[in-house]
Amino acid sequence: MWVSLTGLYVGRVDSLRVLFDELRRSGYFVVGYRVVDGVLRLGELSSFDELAQGVEDVQGPGRYSLISGSFYRHGPDSPKKFLYPPYLTLFKVSSGWDVVVPVREVRRLAFFGLKPCDLASIKVLDRVLLGVDDYYESLRKNMVLIVENCTTPGNTCFCSTMNTGPRARDSFDLAYTRLGDKLVLEAGSVLGLKLLNVLEVEPIDDATYERFEATMRNASEKARAGFELNGLPEELELRIESKVYEKVTEKCLGCANCNMVCPTCFCFDVLDVPLIDGSAERVRVWDGCLNFTYGQVAGGHFRPDLWARYRHFVLHKFAYWVKQFGTFGCVGCGRCITWCPTGIDLRETVRSVLRGGKSG
Amino acid sequence: MRKLKVAVYKFSSCDGCQLQFLNLEDELLQLSDLIEFALFYEARRFVGSGPYDVAFVEGSISTPHEVELIKKVREESKVLVAIGACATSGGIQALRNWADAEEYKRYVYPRPEWVEVLRYAEPPSKYVKVDYEIRGCPVSKDQLLSFVLQLLKGKTPPTLPVDSVCVECKRRGNVCVLVAKGIPCLGPVTMGGCGALCPSYGRGCYGCYGPMIDPKPDALNARFKELNIKPKEIQLLFKQFTNWSKEFRKVVEEYE
Repeated sequence: MWVSLTGLYVGRVDSLRVLFDELRRSGYFVVGYRVVDGVLRLGELSSFDELAQGVEDVQGPGRYSLISGSFYRHGPDSPKKFLYPPYLTLFKVSSGWDVVVPVREVRRLAFFGLKPCDLASIKVLDRVLLGVDDYYESLRKNMVLIVENCTTPGNTCFCSTMNTGPRARDSFDLAYTRLGDKLVLEAGSVLGLKLLNVLEVEPIDDATYERFEATMRNASEKARAGFELNGLPEELELRIESKVYEKVTEKCLGCANCNMVCPTCFCFDVLDVPLIDGSAERVRVWDGCLNFTYGQVAGGHFRPDLWARYRHFVLHKFAYWVKQFGTFGCVGCGRCITWCPTGIDLRETVRSVLRGGKSG
Repeated sequence: MRKLKVAVYKFSSCDGCQLQFLNLEDELLQLSDLIEFALFYEARRFVGSGPYDVAFVEGSISTPHEVELIKKVREESKVLVAIGACATSGGIQALRNWADAEEYKRYVYPRPEWVEVLRYAEPPSKYVKVDYEIRGCPVSKDQLLSFVLQLLKGKTPPTLPVDSVCVECKRRGNVCVLVAKGIPCLGPVTMGGCGALCPSYGRGCYGCYGPMIDPKPDALNARFKELNIKPKEIQLLFKQFTNWSKEFRKVVEEYE
């Protein structure tokens, strides 16, 4: 694990352009947020000017819009879109039954301006996919992470509770924080240090440091979910019989949008696609536990009731994941709240379960 | 390999679904090496007699004559596949199920007594055993092809997506029109398979594939109310191409 190599430095906001250009010059595909049709989308950017500017995302349960502003969080896309794509051809079988594994060009990705929650999602995926998924691993090992600390968490954010933000603490190459015209920077790797050397920066002064700390403290207060992590997996498992899940599921559509937008949901289905020329492809696609077919197996179904599927989603993120991977599966980005068509609030579900008794 | 002997039938419908076979322009020649369209009135004059390996049936059953015909089709086909919204839920003409067809007949036809219709336009499954369903208005040509190729490869049963349109929409990288634009969309209750066609063009899904597996239209109806969508508009959303499906019908009835 990386940590801060440098401590904090201070520069100017316009040095972000220098940083961007330096990454491009070094041969990286730079991926950042841009505005597409009124929504922040993660995509490959060919110039700094394509990066979203002057907008703010307004998120709430089941709603999303952009207004003009000076700070934004995120949109429906997360790094998962690139590292664990929705469709991936695993191999092809020719009409003569030869198996052909696609040769992939290794792309060097640089994520630019990811928020700490999304950085955390990559750390979670690392535990799940490194050593398991070649595609993920090849991108991951050649990747740069430029993280923007979150000065203004949104209405559906709860990174403070999940200990993933609003300030990134490790695992980045370079982290920056906007304070008006100033930029507070910190390198977390040797590569980050090299990038920092390209910029005009100086060690942070006391006044800026205090402002930085105060900004982070305020941000931290805003991103709380109203429950604590300490003992949470045990508390939730004790209340596995809670009726809250059935109650909340009255609003649930079983559409699996939560799974799809979750930056750590890694479940997949494998499809064999026959083609007219007699060949076929085996394709990996995103799947999720809210889908009815997900729990369907030969001879039966693990979770035919929707409330049981929803409960599994919640308990996997907050209890089972800890046992499986030694970390929570939720990073507190709030996407599942925002992009739920009926606005089911995961924070409220967890609070309600904790409030109730063993079967309350 | 012996060619699959196929019949394509039409009942009360617009021909749009069987036309999707012909719309497979790039694949049609190769496809005709693999299957024989022994009966396909829209494509050829030649009619080969049954029995058939597979019958693709388009349209709903809306007359006494069609009841007899669908029974005959069932008898002479090993596998019967219902294709399209009409053949899987009753389709657009099932809208007449909500009204008085006898009255319509008097307005439209000079000799209404010559027109024999059933009280309800309903899918073939009401009268005979249907082995597989391919949804949509019209069906997707890619799904038709995929289904045929799976049959040819001996995959039993051939499978098509049954979960929500949302899953395909997100996989495709679309932004949710309901959440980001407030456009009423039936995607969360509608069966996938179209590749989220309408939301990909910024429109709400209008549910032509009908209810997905284990759908929750009541929850979506409640959400539409919360969003202050007018009752008439909500009803019209559900009262479209698959209005006569059991699950959508319940919502429509609430507003009748």
